[in-house]
Amino acid sequence: MSILSLHNVSKSFGKTEIIRGVNLDIQAGERHAIIGPNGAGKSTLFHLISGKYQPSSGRITFRDQEIQNHPPYEIARLGLARSFQVTNIFPRLSVFENVRCGMLWKQGLGYSFRHLLGRQTELNARAMHLLEEISLSDRADFPAGELAYAQQRALELGVAIASGADLIMLDEPVAGMSLSEAEAAVSLIRKITEGKTLVMVEHDMNIVFDVADRISVLVYGEIIASDSPQAIRANPKVQEAYLGEAILTDAGGDDA
Amino acid sequence: MGKFAPWVGYLIALLGLPQLFDSVLAITIFNQMAIAIVFALSYNMLLGQGGMLSFGHAVYFGLGGFMAVHALIMIEFETVYFSITLIPLVGGLIGLIAAIFVGSFSTHKAGTVFAMISLGIGELVAASSLIFVSFFGGEAGVSADRTFGPPFFGIEFFQDVEIYYLSAGWVFASTVFMYLFTQTPAGRMANAVRENPERAEFIGYSARRVRFISFCSSGFFAGVAGGLFALNYEFITEENLNAVTSGRVLLMAYIGGLGYFIGPIIGAVVLTLMNSLLSNYTELWMLYLGIMFVLTVLFLPRGFAGFIMMHQTAWLRGRLSSLVLPYLITGIPAIMFGGSILAAIEMLHHGGESFRFLFVTLDSGNALHWFALTSVGAASHFACRRSLGQLTSAWEEANQSEDTTERGPS
Amino acid sequence: MLEVFVFSTLNGLVTGLLLFMLASGLTLIFSMMGVLNFAHASFYMLGAYFAYSVSLKLGFWAGLFFAPLLVGTLGALVERYALRRVHAYGHVAELVFTFGLAFLIEEAVQFFWGADTKNYRSPDLLDFPLFVLFGQEFSAYRGFMITISVGIFLVLFYVLTRSRIGIIIQAAITHPHTVANLGHNVPLIFMAVFGVGTALAGVAGVIAGPVLTTFPGMAVVLGSIVFVIVVIGGLGSLGGAFVASLMIGLLQSYAIASNLGMPDLLNLLGLDFSRDHPLNDLWTLTLPQIAPVLPFLLLVLVLIFRPTGLAGKREE
Repeated sequence: MSILSLHNVSKSFGKTEIIRGVNLDIQAGERHAIIGPNGAGKSTLFHLISGKYQPSSGRITFRDQEIQNHPPYEIARLGLARSFQVTNIFPRLSVFENVRCGMLWKQGLGYSFRHLLGRQTELNARAMHLLEEISLSDRADFPAGELAYAQQRALELGVAIASGADLIMLDEPVAGMSLSEAEAAVSLIRKITEGKTLVMVEHDMNIVFDVADRISVLVYGEIIASDSPQAIRANPKVQEAYLGEAILTDAGGDDA
Repeated sequence: MGKFAPWVGYLIALLGLPQLFDSVLAITIFNQMAIAIVFALSYNMLLGQGGMLSFGHAVYFGLGGFMAVHALIMIEFETVYFSITLIPLVGGLIGLIAAIFVGSFSTHKAGTVFAMISLGIGELVAASSLIFVSFFGGEAGVSADRTFGPPFFGIEFFQDVEIYYLSAGWVFASTVFMYLFTQTPAGRMANAVRENPERAEFIGYSARRVRFISFCSSGFFAGVAGGLFALNYEFITEENLNAVTSGRVLLMAYIGGLGYFIGPIIGAVVLTLMNSLLSNYTELWMLYLGIMFVLTVLFLPRGFAGFIMMHQTAWLRGRLSSLVLPYLITGIPAIMFGGSILAAIEMLHHGGESFRFLFVTLDSGNALHWFALTSVGAASHFACRRSLGQLTSAWEEANQSEDTTERGPS
Repeated sequence: MLEVFVFSTLNGLVTGLLLFMLASGLTLIFSMMGVLNFAHASFYMLGAYFAYSVSLKLGFWAGLFFAPLLVGTLGALVERYALRRVHAYGHVAELVFTFGLAFLIEEAVQFFWGADTKNYRSPDLLDFPLFVLFGQEFSAYRGFMITISVGIFLVLFYVLTRSRIGIIIQAAITHPHTVANLGHNVPLIFMAVFGVGTALAGVAGVIAGPVLTTFPGMAVVLGSIVFVIVVIGGLGSLGGAFVASLMIGLLQSYAIASNLGMPDLLNLLGLDFSRDHPLNDLWTLTLPQIAPVLPFLLLVLVLIFRPTGLAGKREE
């Protein structure tokens, strides 16, 4: 069953068409990676799905509901969460508050000014538990802006998954990390997306072929292939697009 | 319960102050403080907690106040019948209604756009208040008499001290509710939207709606403050909803410290004291206020409360006492230097005539006085500069953590 | 009717051009540094006061020369030693700082010059009617104001479009980050732009002082109007600021000159209300009465419906 589908989605900025008629089906429970050269429109595609931008034409359905003209907060409430390529947290709130804010809506607290957060024992316990999962519990009271880079990335993930969304979209979750940090991040991503649907944009092919069940290749705003990792690696069109990037043929051979 | 200790202390302070100082002047000042505290706290809901810089917050204070005075008039003429203890609520409701109206279009954006809309609305309302004379009373304003309402447990509010106790109750309740607001989902999301409105939208919250809620609550409490004003003074004029009042509340909240709940309370107390006490000693108190404000923005971006909170780390590590001596060594010359600057300003101002400055009589016509003043100023400046290094290193030492791998929030 | 129209137009033009001199500096500063300078009109006031003091000793023309220099230097110092420091604390702190500065300058002016109105007069040289129209005189000084304003506009236009520094500034208006990355955004340019912007305000003060009276409240009178213009014109757009300045100048001038009001409208509609009606104030409104409100009404409307202003490209 497909949880997210894009039908002929296009997006232009002025005269420049960044996304040109993308069709994409994401099955519930799969780990789907979107790859493509720089400037292919991967982040734009994420922004379109999550509601930051509205498509110039086409339809996007999430759980059989059209979402292309919905504001981001409504899409988020439906159970679609995302992270950002550039760390996008609440810098002066504590690490704990960052994660708890991510949980509030799903908890049914909405815009309430009648509930006291301190009394939400179960919510607070869940927030602490999530911090343990992302190994930040000893930093719970730190202002988020003062964390080290890799920790901020982990928090970025934590805020995204806090709502318990079924579909999680990660935009270059390990960008800028050292090798060991990236490894830790990948196992974290595996752990926290257990039983959920994952869509991610990533440049590191090792990680992509390691994590993804299916891969879509976006080139100049068009999906040129969408298939299993093996089929993508063998696809001549993909190889053409990635000409010179030998990494594609080597990757996956040394599965950790 | 340690959690309630500050609140008990606050309540005791509010109720105990008139016992300690019971002069007419003191009661007048306490009444002003009460109004200022609620007003400044309501402003902090906007700017400190919600990140919305308003140049027109007096609109909600003033409209609430005007309606409260009209309500007093209605009580007097028996159009309505209720206890005047509820007058602040009338002000609050009017503030809320005005905020709902304005907030419906102004909270779309924070930042410069919000600030400009607030400025425009502020000027519009202030100018309109001079046009609609029948409601606002023109330049003279409107006045009423608070003693016509039904007595409240036998109290008829003839005296200012009775009004003070009534205000203290309202101040305490308002403070508690505004504090509790910061602990609710709406209040916490206001912080989140202030920090990063984009991310807030991606975790399910409409930034506009979050701002709107803060804006309306803030308008309500500004109106309550306006109602307290009406009760205390029994009149209100156009000045209470124009840019001057809007500016003053910004000053209070900023000088006190925006990031902290207690900040605006400190700001309200300090500014009220300056306003009423300093103005007795010098005509230049507004100039000093301006200097203090600019210096605060420059050197204490988190206000007085921020300055106090800077010492939290040292206090937690039990090293606060090591700072006392360096503070005195640098602080005393610094105060003397500031004092000589003030004396110089006053001497310029008094051009030719002698006047009392603290414990000495100064005469600007006397060259010797100028010489002495310059020497004191230069010497204290020198001493201050010399000892600053010591203070800095003492500060660093006090804040240094035992464990070098773990760096606390700075 | 025609004479009212002609004179309103001329007066509106004078006001509008004067406003533009303030608005242009404010726009330049905003474009470069992203900060709306609340104290801008205070520098205008300082211009008038400095010129007044200089004119007592050396005459009007020396004041016209020295006062803007003084104001510009002061502005540059403020940028170098205060604004740059506050910049690190963020936008709100910057805005609040300039707000505090405006407050401080007003108090300082009262400290140095007193709270009374200064007898700052236009030069005798220009104390004659330039022309007489419909029996009304149009003073040479007003003509001089127009000349100076237009002259400054032309120089500014020339510098911005023809000179190297102008092109850098122009680029900074639309692409601030690119210019910064090219290494142009050196602090010196900031200081210079702030200095020149405040000096322009100073010039406006020098020439407006004699006409609009030199008193400690003169900054407040114009301050928010200039803000309105910069916002309506579109933050960061010089052309927009020019159009908005003239528009506001003319609008106010016409509104003040006209005698139209609600009573006329009601007459036209054949309606009549008794004097005791609680909304009497509303039925008797006249245009001159609401003239001071119009710019702010316009400001709020523009911000609601077109937050980028008439010609603005950039938000925030």
